[in-house]
Amino acid sequence: MTRGWWGRLLLLVFFTVLSIVYVTPTIGNLDLEKTKFPFKHKVNLGLDLQGGLYLVLGVDFNRVYKDVVDRQASSLESRMKEKGFAATSLKVVRENQPADDPKIMVTYPAAKREEFHELIKKEYWTLRIAGESSGAFELGLSGEFRGEVRDRTLNQSIEVIRNRIDEFGVAEPSIASQGTDRVVVELPGIREVDRAKDLIGRTAKLEFKMVNDKAMSPEQVAELVGELEKKNEITYKEGQKFSEYVAKINQAAKGRVPEGSEIAFERTQGIAGESLGRVPYLLFSKTEVTGDDLQDANVQIDPENQRPNVSFSLNPRGAALFDKLTGDNIGNRLAIVLDNIVHSAPVIQSRIGGGQGQITLGQGSGDELMKEAKDLAIVLRAGALPAQLDFLEQRVIGPSLGQDSIKKGAMAALIGSIAVFLFVTFYYRTSGAIAVFSLILNVLFVLACLVGLEATLTLPGIAGIALTVGIAVDSNVVIFERIREELRAGKGIHGAVEAGFQKAFRTILDANVTNAVAAGVLLMYGTGPIKGFAVTMLIGIVTTLFTAVFVCKVVFDAYLRHLENRGAKTLSI
Amino acid sequence: MFELIRPGTQIDFVGKRHIWVGISSAAILLTIVLFFTKGLNYGIDFTGGAEIQIKAPATWDIGTVRKEMDEGGIKGLKVIQIGLPEDHQFLIKAQGDDKSLNLVSKQVSDILGKKLQPGEYEIQRADVVGPAAGESLRTSGFLSMFYALLGILLYVTIRFDLRYSPGAVLALFHDSVITIGVFILTQKQFDLQILAAVLALIGYSNNDTIIVYDRVRETLHLHPGLTIEKGVNQAINETLGRTLLTSLTTFLSVFSLWLFGGKVIEDFAFTLMVGMVVGTYSSIFIASAFVIFLTHRQEKNAAKQKAQGGKPKRTVTVRPEPKLQS
Repeated sequence: MTRGWWGRLLLLVFFTVLSIVYVTPTIGNLDLEKTKFPFKHKVNLGLDLQGGLYLVLGVDFNRVYKDVVDRQASSLESRMKEKGFAATSLKVVRENQPADDPKIMVTYPAAKREEFHELIKKEYWTLRIAGESSGAFELGLSGEFRGEVRDRTLNQSIEVIRNRIDEFGVAEPSIASQGTDRVVVELPGIREVDRAKDLIGRTAKLEFKMVNDKAMSPEQVAELVGELEKKNEITYKEGQKFSEYVAKINQAAKGRVPEGSEIAFERTQGIAGESLGRVPYLLFSKTEVTGDDLQDANVQIDPENQRPNVSFSLNPRGAALFDKLTGDNIGNRLAIVLDNIVHSAPVIQSRIGGGQGQITLGQGSGDELMKEAKDLAIVLRAGALPAQLDFLEQRVIGPSLGQDSIKKGAMAALIGSIAVFLFVTFYYRTSGAIAVFSLILNVLFVLACLVGLEATLTLPGIAGIALTVGIAVDSNVVIFERIREELRAGKGIHGAVEAGFQKAFRTILDANVTNAVAAGVLLMYGTGPIKGFAVTMLIGIVTTLFTAVFVCKVVFDAYLRHLENRGAKTLSI
Repeated sequence: MFELIRPGTQIDFVGKRHIWVGISSAAILLTIVLFFTKGLNYGIDFTGGAEIQIKAPATWDIGTVRKEMDEGGIKGLKVIQIGLPEDHQFLIKAQGDDKSLNLVSKQVSDILGKKLQPGEYEIQRADVVGPAAGESLRTSGFLSMFYALLGILLYVTIRFDLRYSPGAVLALFHDSVITIGVFILTQKQFDLQILAAVLALIGYSNNDTIIVYDRVRETLHLHPGLTIEKGVNQAINETLGRTLLTSLTTFLSVFSLWLFGGKVIEDFAFTLMVGMVVGTYSSIFIASAFVIFLTHRQEKNAAKQKAQGGKPKRTVTVRPEPKLQS
């Protein structure tokens, strides 16, 4: 055997061993927490196989646009007052119906047209002049601002949903945007649609509460929580309601914390894959300001030190409340609480009057700070501009149906594959057996790739694997038929095999690429289970190219050598 | 050596191509007519609505389920028994606007909870799709079919040339339309899964066509004197063994899925089965017929140009045959 062949064999053995390691936990159904097996990942099962809840939510943008236009209108109104337009009795007329493109009508006296036009152009990039009729401008949101509102509303909806999903303690929830106006939520293992819908569909509640640092230091609070957990055997595990845990802690803490105070938690993201951490706070129960009084929040870069901070604005009522609150509490911490979970607790540095404030962030690298600032701005806006979510699709799959599907799907795939194996061996004899070997490796590689890429296996995905076997045979058939033709044309076995593999390669590539085009479209269009089908098809195309061309050739070369050693002149094909 | 098709087989596929094209055109026309008259039986993925699959106790038959659900106030109610009779599985379908649909799954579980003990019944699956969502799923679904066809048209044009690609896409169009036609005739439910299967077919069915085309090009290259009809016919005959073999093995896989894969995947596998039969037929009879047609038209155009004394204008670009090394 040549050195090149040994090299290829080594590569093949390497991939095979690696793949076996990857699929062992899945196939052997190992208990990942107890097993000593070094590789601890299983293939992700789709909702259709493990049961769970799939929701598609639509964001009601029309309402959001209307809210945003309203706020722009009040800002413009006060700016006009400052500029002295008020004396000439200008009016801001707002449309009341939520619409796709809500408008503001502003009337102006003829003499001030230019001046007013200038104000809009210079100070309001957020607005565009949509029309002008005698003595009045019609203003709508600018395209750029509309896009920004859209993006951040979607992000904030996702954040709000994520915040609430924590309540479920689902092991691996998936919350993702789909297109520009939808959010897809996947909750494996959850079956209580109505509770989930209730929780997710509620509008976000943002509160500002003072942290009671005077009574207890943060360390003391953490110590107390630890003690209470131990003494009362309160634990929080995934799969539990977080609010119940908090309620239990507070129940146990009665008498240990001052009257009018409560314990609330911040949930910190652990290192990838780890569960959420929790940081306790002792808060005064009184809500000082709510999201209703907040107008907007944005990330800004401090021109002095280039660090990001979050600036926010309040309506007149909120401004007055904030003025007094911050004046009385300089040096204390103010907690920002969204849906009963603390998100940040900045120290009040100075009195905040005039309804404009800034939150500067702690230490960290530029990227980290930027992310923190963005997250905080999202939380604040979620309270200020709550978006209405509509349920567009709800799908629940019971666990028994999923189990049944796995069993039947796997059985069908197995039977189909065995039928194909038998047929191919019957038709091509020894060469057929080589093909079967490559097909088995093909399935192994597909499964290993699914685990390695952390892709999701769905029922159509299982069908995709079965189909991959059927289609992969095609590559073998194309090669073998070629070899047969070359043999008929009078070539020796060695030459026939070489020519067969070479001439068939381009055909195989072409056929597989067109398959991949269709699978790619499916991947982009499909959701949930169907995406799983597209993924296995795509992986299958790659592994098919590898096994049919590379693996088969390695084995064929060994077979040819074996034949030549025995002086055989014919090929079993 | 076991051979499905003996080497040297010369079946005349091309000579009677007008008959095959006629049959296929009629089938496509019929489908289009049926599409607008009888229509597809769209599933709730595309129309909106609710579908709840339950397992009821042995004492409940379809009548009981219908009666209970009706009295429970489910709107647009339809009850279907699925699976084996002894499984007592029922599909409860409901129609309505967003608001009423939103309540359906809760209503059903309330009704069952009131009449039965826990453990006596099970809600196995519940799908609720709002009417607006269904509408947009349908639009994007058919668009995706269009994109898949476009992508394949581009690829075949790049790899072969403009004489070949319209035939390939026409064959795919033919396959998907006739598969959809079977769904109209059988009135089986057409949902997202079925659409996915049709898309997968578009990719798969093109395999066969590509392999025939590849051989047509090679044959014409090796024997420049051959007429297009003879070349195509020879190519089809030479690849016939492979075409049938592959179709057979793939069919085995899909057939097993259809037979043993369970209710959830049954129609998906059915679509693939129908499509594979149609696809194999079209790559033998339809795709190549179109190549002949386009080649003739090209020759005729060239002749006409010549007769008019002008420089022969090439209506299609012929890419040089990629070289094979040995």
